[in-house]
Amino acid sequence: MGFEPMEEFEQELRQAFERRPAPTSLKRRLMESRRTRQPGNHVLNWQRLAAAILLTATLGGGLVWRNREEQRKGEAAREQVLTALRITNRALNQMNTQLAAHGRAQRQGD
Amino acid sequence: MAHDWQPDFEQLVDEHQSMVFSLAWRMTGDRGLAEEIAQDVFLELDRHLGKIESAAHACFWLRRVTMSRSADALRRRVVRGLDLWVEMEEHHGISVVERTSPLGARLEQLLATLPESQRAALVLRYQEDLTPEEIAATLQAPVATVKSNLQRGLKLLRAKAANHLKEYVRGKEYARGI
Repeated sequence: MGFEPMEEFEQELRQAFERRPAPTSLKRRLMESRRTRQPGNHVLNWQRLAAAILLTATLGGGLVWRNREEQRKGEAAREQVLTALRITNRALNQMNTQLAAHGRAQRQGD
Repeated sequence: MAHDWQPDFEQLVDEHQSMVFSLAWRMTGDRGLAEEIAQDVFLELDRHLGKIESAAHACFWLRRVTMSRSADALRRRVVRGLDLWVEMEEHHGISVVERTSPLGARLEQLLATLPESQRAALVLRYQEDLTPEEIAATLQAPVATVKSNLQRGLKLLRAKAANHLKEYVRGKEYARGI
């Protein structure tokens, strides 16, 4: 084959396959990634989550309260309209009775 | 007794980053991908640090996970053989030739053209100087398979080198006065 013996070839391989130095940025990026996953950051994440839940609950509660308030006002308005209608109905009945009595009195006078 | 050992993540990175990066680079032939793999492997080590029992265990664990991650990455990628190395030098401005002898540089290029199982065995044998039994444990493969891959890989690489390096060999023979 015209190539050196296997031992020599293996020696060439060992030299060719020496470890390469890792990029200097690798360790820096690793330590940064690790720092963002530290237990302190877990606490921070829990705090953020708790704050988000609290905010959502407050907003949700506000919305529910506003809906109930509007419902209550609507009920009150409905009650007022019904009362007004009852009063009008009573007044119309009274007027009707008076008109009927007046009509009878006129017929008796004739 | 093994649990007396206290793992120091930063120290482990300092000691093994070159090994992890080199294994990943030689297995994938892609510097950028090798960096990503190395980062993933070390972050996984950080998550499993409590289960690491000794310095030797850390080294073994890193080798095994690096080889496994590299194989996963290769399965997701199309292996482009020699062109990949040319591309790598163009993209990253890295000259393999500058760092090693012409034969050494060529051998690295030819390594990328071997089947994955043979490449894994050869890299662990000649970069990490592992025995076939240690390679088998790292790759979780039978020793006989590893020995066969080593033999075949070595033979194939040598044949490829003989074909591709005729000029080099001729020059070497000329220098020897043959």
